[in-house]
Order: sequence, then structure tokens, then C-alpha cells
Amino acid sequence: MADEVREKLRYTETHEWLKVEGNNAIVGITDHAQSELTDIVFVELPEPGKEISKGDELCIVESVKSVSEIYSPISGKILKINKKLEDSPEIINESPYDNGWLVELEIKDKSEINNLLDSESYKNIL
Amino acid sequence: MLLKSPLHDVHIELGAKFTEFAGFEMPIYYSTIKDEHLNVRKSVGLFDVSHMSNVWITGKDADKLISYTTVENASRIGDKLSQYTAILREDGTVIDDTIFMHLGKKYMMIPNAGMAEIITTWLKDKIKEKDFDAKVENVSRDFVILAIQGPKSRDTLQKLTDTDLSNVKFFNCQYIDISGLNCIISHTGYTGELGFELNITPVKESKDIFLEILKAGKEFNIKPIGIGARDTLRLEKCFILAGNEFEGGRTPLEALMSWTINWDHDFIGKESLLKQKEKGDYQRLTSMECVDRGIPRHGCTIQKGGEKIGTITSGSLSPCIKKGIALGYLKPKHREIDSTVDIVVRDKPIKAKIVKPPFVKKDWAQQN
Repeated sequence: MADEVREKLRYTETHEWLKVEGNNAIVGITDHAQSELTDIVFVELPEPGKEISKGDELCIVESVKSVSEIYSPISGKILKINKKLEDSPEIINESPYDNGWLVELEIKDKSEINNLLDSESYKNIL
Repeated sequence: MLLKSPLHDVHIELGAKFTEFAGFEMPIYYSTIKDEHLNVRKSVGLFDVSHMSNVWITGKDADKLISYTTVENASRIGDKLSQYTAILREDGTVIDDTIFMHLGKKYMMIPNAGMAEIITTWLKDKIKEKDFDAKVENVSRDFVILAIQGPKSRDTLQKLTDTDLSNVKFFNCQYIDISGLNCIISHTGYTGELGFELNITPVKESKDIFLEILKAGKEFNIKPIGIGARDTLRLEKCFILAGNEFEGGRTPLEALMSWTINWDHDFIGKESLLKQKEKGDYQRLTSMECVDRGIPRHGCTIQKGGEKIGTITSGSLSPCIKKGIALGYLKPKHREIDSTVDIVVRDKPIKAKIVKPPFVKKDWAQQN
């Protein structure tokens, strides 16, 4: 079963996706990432208001056997976190690009977005 | 280079994802750990555990050798019976926990994966030391070992044999024909569910049996199970994983294995245990269930009032009760049921309560 890659999103080599919405960006992990992790059983999200730099650890996603750090594709300030994932982490497996979003950030430096992969380049690394 | 199970190609065919364990490349899961785990509790699962070891113990003094080197008095374990026991060092710490099966004039011992040579050498040394008329043979590479576990395990296996499996009672063992293959069967397992383990030789004739059991169990929704779920299943029942729970040197008294000790015979480590028993205030293996969100892992610090009181030996998320569960050694004063401790996960203390084992009770499948 091929991993889904959405055309309008940007990607990182560490399998995070990013969606620009005005001055904000929504971040999550890709279909490939969730399928490698299999059942996600725990998510530790950051506190809203936290300042984060590109490449910093954004949150932790755990499967039964493994602990994975998710890195921020860009610098910014955490505005919202997807609290539903605390009780139902499996939403990330079911819907990695929609209901399984992790955080929404206020973008600090729009030029950082240009350094991210587009959907074609991301497909090539899979 | 990693060793492989004789059934490695079968696992590839079944879509297994592999991992390294005790020098072997073994399936960690075929679908997902959670899915396989729940399948064993609710119906039936089939495990390849050929990475475990097989040692024949034979000779006039075979039972004396076992009695000397384990905490069990082997003369108590009659033909067609097996026993769970511990092999100790002089200082009373556990070298390995193991099962041995009495099969006529021979005993089959099943040390843990990676322990075959260590145990065989240890036993051979003791034969020399005591001048026992006994022989020890490491035949691990000649055996395929399978475990079939779950409420529907007996029904599945019954389809492949004329022997009435309801006569193979708990911890009984015997030779049996399964699907035309002569096997050693024991009513044993590492999941806390109804189940059996099969030791099959020679290996080259054993390659089809895995798929045959899967076929027989299809009507019961059988699945192949990897070592990922094997670990979460045993942890929910507070069973010991030697590499974790004996790490750094632990005695059977500390590991809550006193029930396995037969004090009426002389065995290596007995003196040390008696001394420890008299002192009394030693750490004991303790079951902790998380109250706060979080998953405790091996190596996490256990704290009380900000002070370190122990370390987690095994930790995970329980797929059945959906809470973090863990084992660790604590002093008696910290072990009161329902009292709480803090387990430090990524620098954050998460509250856990001391519980009476097991984490998941026998009736879980009926209740869920």
C-alpha cells in the first residue's frame, strides 16, 4: 500500500508535513511516518506560547516499542495544540494529514518555508 | 552476524518486520504489536520462539545435576512433568530462569535466548566438580520452538492431533504427534493465557508446521505474533524477562520467585539465600501502574519525595488497560499496595501506584 503524499503540503526529510495558513503553519507527521510507527499510543505535545526554532524537538510520539522525536520544520511560536490526541493518539494513524495534526505555529521567518521539500521531492526520498 | 530462526523465510512471506534480540533476527510484528497482543488475549496467536535454547540432560545423575544447579529438587518432578526454576551463582544471584521437562530417561531444559552455551558450560563444569554420571548437550540449533497461546489455542491445536489435549494439564509435557510430526508438547507459556509450547526436531521437517497451524486456526482468527507483543503480553502478567529483571544481579528472593525454591535440598547459592532471607530488608520486584499519562521505560528512575528509590526494569503501555505499566525493585517500605511513587520519564515525574500483580486479570477477555 503506497504512502499518501499530499500535493499542496511542504515536507521535511524527517517525515513532517507543513501547511501554510496565512501567517500560521500547521504541522503533522506524514502517512509514511505513521505507518512506520504503527500504533501510536502516546503523544506529548508542547505548551502553547512556547518559542521554537527550526529543527528543535516539537513533540514526542510513542508507539508501544519506540519513542520518536518530531522536529519543527520552521521557527515560530506555538499557538494551538491538538489536545484530542492526548486521549486518542491513534487519530494520527487514522488521519495523519487531517484530524491527526499536531500543532499550529505562528511563522517567524517565511523564507524558511522555501527550504522545505515539495511533494515531488518528498516522494523521491520515500 | 545475526542468527536466524529456521522459519525465517516463512516470516518474510507473512510480511514480518524484523528486529534484533539476543543475537537473533526475529519478527517484532507482522501487523502491529497492539493488534497481535489483543488477538492473543481474545482468541489465539502463534509465536516462533526458536531463538530460545534447548539442552538435553541425560545419564543416571541427570536429576542430581538439576537439583544441584537449580533451586528445584528434581526428584519431585516426575515423568511428563515440567517445572519453572532458576539457576544460581554462589552468591545467590540468578544466571538464568528456565523450564526443564522430564521426558522418560531424559530432561530437556529451555534456557533463554543467547544463554545456550553459558548454561551448557556451567552444567558441564558442575558435572566435573561433583563427578556426576550425567551428560549435557546443547541442541538449540536442532530445534524449532513454537508457542500457541490464547483461549482458542487448544481448539486450534486439537485439529492437528489425535491426542486429547485436555489430558495435557498445566505444566505437563510429553511426546505427541502434531500434523504427522513428532514433537515435545508442554502446557506452558509466557502470556498468562491458555496455551502450549512445541519443541520440534529435526528442523528441516519442521518448516511447514507454522503455516499448518495458522491454517488450522483460521476459523478462530489466529494470527502470527512477533516478539513485540510477546513482551507486552508477559509484562501485563508481571512475568520476568531475564535480561531486564535479573540485570545487575538479582536473587530469586528479590525477584519474587521464592515459590520456586525447594529448601530441602542442597543447591548452589543456597547459603547466600539463607543469609539474605535472614536479613530480610532487601528490594523486591514491584508492579507499578501509571496514574498520570505517560509510558515508563527500562532505566527510568523511581522517586519518592524527590529522592531516588529504584529503577524501572521493564516498562511499556498495556494494550489491554491502556495505561503505563512497569516493574522495578523497591524496598519493602515503598511497596504498600495503592501507595504512589513517581517515575521520571524524560525529566518529568509521572505518578504511579503500587498494584498487586497481575496488571491484567484472568477475566479481561470476558469483560472486554
